Amino acid sequence: MDNNQFTAEFESFRGQLKSFILRMTASVQDSEDIVQETYIKAHNSLDSFRGESTLKTWVFAIGANLARDALRSKKRWPENVTDICKEAALGNEVFFQEAMQIRHTSPQGHFEIKEHIAFCFTCVSRSLPLEQQLVVFLKEVYAFKVSEIAGIIDQTEAMVKYYLHVGRQKMIEVFDHRCSLINKQGVCHQCTELNGIFNPKQDIQQELVKIRMVKDAENENKEALFDLRMKILQELDPFESPAAELQLHHLEHNRKVMEEKQ
Amino acid sequence: MTINPTGKATTKKETFSRETSVAISIDANRSIIWQLLTNADDMPRWNSTITALDGDILAGGKIHLKSILDDKRVFKLTVKKLAAEIEMVWGDKSGDRVFRLENGPNDSIIFSMHEKIGGWMFPLYARYIPDFDESFEQFAADLKREAESIQQTASE
Repeated sequence: MDNNQFTAEFESFRGQLKSFILRMTASVQDSEDIVQETYIKAHNSLDSFRGESTLKTWVFAIGANLARDALRSKKRWPENVTDICKEAALGNEVFFQEAMQIRHTSPQGHFEIKEHIAFCFTCVSRSLPLEQQLVVFLKEVYAFKVSEIAGIIDQTEAMVKYYLHVGRQKMIEVFDHRCSLINKQGVCHQCTELNGIFNPKQDIQQELVKIRMVKDAENENKEALFDLRMKILQELDPFESPAAELQLHHLEHNRKVMEEKQ
Repeated sequence: MTINPTGKATTKKETFSRETSVAISIDANRSIIWQLLTNADDMPRWNSTITALDGDILAGGKIHLKSILDDKRVFKLTVKKLAAEIEMVWGDKSGDRVFRLENGPNDSIIFSMHEKIGGWMFPLYARYIPDFDESFEQFAADLKREAESIQQTASE
């Protein structure tokens, strides 16, 4: 593979790599830096790529390792990260002023519930042990096979299955307990509260029934609802969507709050 | 003690000690079973005999365990031995629990669990200690179900 072929192929999945790193690190800056570093590292060691996996899998392995290195020294976040960050936001007038400015002036300043569901998963997934978080994203959102993930994280397929199962079960349990979109007793209503702030004229019920995970919440089991949540993430590019700037602003806020607490 | 991997517990009672054992055949990768046995945070999720487990399951680690046998009591245990994917021993001054993984037929793994409690004061408090058989059988059955379910996760 020559340099031009490599660059062309890298560009074809750069967006996915960047969104994967963002969802792992919850940091816009880290995702940009790590993607750039991944490109340079892969480019410089292209001779060692023997075609035993796809180029995309090989490059994701490099990116995942860099993300892992960046996250290893950082504490994992608690399951109620969004409660903690909400408290911080309520005492931060500047945050809301900036958010409103984005909402009214940016072409990527829309507020959409689906976007917030994806944002929320990004935050809460940082409560998983690092390996579980990696595997859940790689399998459930970026559709890698178990064997490919084993290569990416340098573990056996059995371990990948273990991380996937336990990570999934943990997230299912957390969202079943917290998310009022799928459980009437859920303690978190942030997406609907924020929708009321950013889209005050919108009929929230009409919006919610457009989301299959919410519409089917009473009829589907927890596993199926988790799969529907993952489908929302699969379909969204956190950098390119109409709500990207608003959600990234919110994500940066949460990351800073959590890092200040560490 | 070698026992048949039927999932049925057996108890041997003597004046100064009591030993309970169970073994079960599991069709899952050894690493998966080992991870389930050594991830303290996750254990109460799949193991219906444990209501809470705090601490790190690593050699020399201290763990605090609450069991369905007595939910008010916290067992303060030390991980006395840990040979990865082979054997682990938890215990306190009154007894040890040994967990062991061995190869079985057709790539299965035989999980066994054995606990011996006793001492010269044992006859004085033996009657206050509940029978372990049912919880041992439940532990083994839960581990088998969970490990085999993970093993069957689709690879695609």
